[in-house]
Amino acid sequence: MRIKKKEIQSEIFTGSMADISFLLIIYFMITSAFSATRGLDFALPEDTDTPEIKQEDSIDVHVVRGGAIEVDGKGLPLEGLLPYCLDKLKQNPEKPVILRTDPDATYGDMIRVFDTLRQANEEWTDANGEPLHMDVHGKPLTEIQTISIPTRREIENLWSMLGIG
Amino acid sequence: MALVRGRERKSAAQIFTASMADIVFLLIVFFVLTYKVEVDRTKMDLPDTWVRIKVPEKAAVISIAPPDDLTAPLTVRVSTGEEMSLPVSTNEEVVTFASTEVARNPNKEFIVKADEQVPYEHVDAVLDALKQSKVKFIYLLSDQKTVDE
Repeated sequence: MRIKKKEIQSEIFTGSMADISFLLIIYFMITSAFSATRGLDFALPEDTDTPEIKQEDSIDVHVVRGGAIEVDGKGLPLEGLLPYCLDKLKQNPEKPVILRTDPDATYGDMIRVFDTLRQANEEWTDANGEPLHMDVHGKPLTEIQTISIPTRREIENLWSMLGIG
Repeated sequence: MALVRGRERKSAAQIFTASMADIVFLLIVFFVLTYKVEVDRTKMDLPDTWVRIKVPEKAAVISIAPPDDLTAPLTVRVSTGEEMSLPVSTNEEVVTFASTEVARNPNKEFIVKADEQVPYEHVDAVLDALKQSKVKFIYLLSDQKTVDE
């Protein structure tokens, strides 16, 4: 008698695939952090090329407690900072801006002023990136070349070198 | 004359699910590719800025968070960018950490992640530690500023 062999079809069980997939999606959605990945950058000068900056050759921006600013010793609203810098840099585009912050002021106060200074490029160029202002030598003025953020120790060292305080 | 209708055939309502597997796998591939491990998960209110530059991956992170209790000291944590952050208690530890990282890679970038309400003297101390360690590139982490703010 001929026995008919029953063929078993080999197949991968995919019934639980949807469950596993959704579980993975939920895992990734929960654990993937919406972290901040952007910020303000600044490069620190190397010892070899640190220029000697005199106070009268720079624009001194001092952030005081409460977030107000004093520019070259005079109180100024934040909106007036870039126009002031523009006037000064037209005379000397290499003039550095020194940003000092009171220890009692908050980090947010300092960042607000730093962000304003960093917006110079956007404010001083048109939509095509063309310069809107020229310096006294007729060269385009598109940004603040140097923004220095000295630490309190550096300021104290400088003062002691100058014999102040 | 009334029309005699035949028995109406009812088709069962169903949702087309054949493409579900494709969509699900596409989403999984997306999440796998974009998944990043956040080395420092300290919750804080970052300052808002208009100018925002993308910070490099694998940069070392120093986070400064205010304490829950005003009398407690600030929480400062450091991470190499590849391992989870660890708390440090003194500024000298920040200098040691940064110096070690700079010795390994002189162009190592550092991210300072600080709460906007932190008194500036603490950020100043960290910046000073980084300068002492000959760090060249620093990024100050921020959130996007919007017109309402």
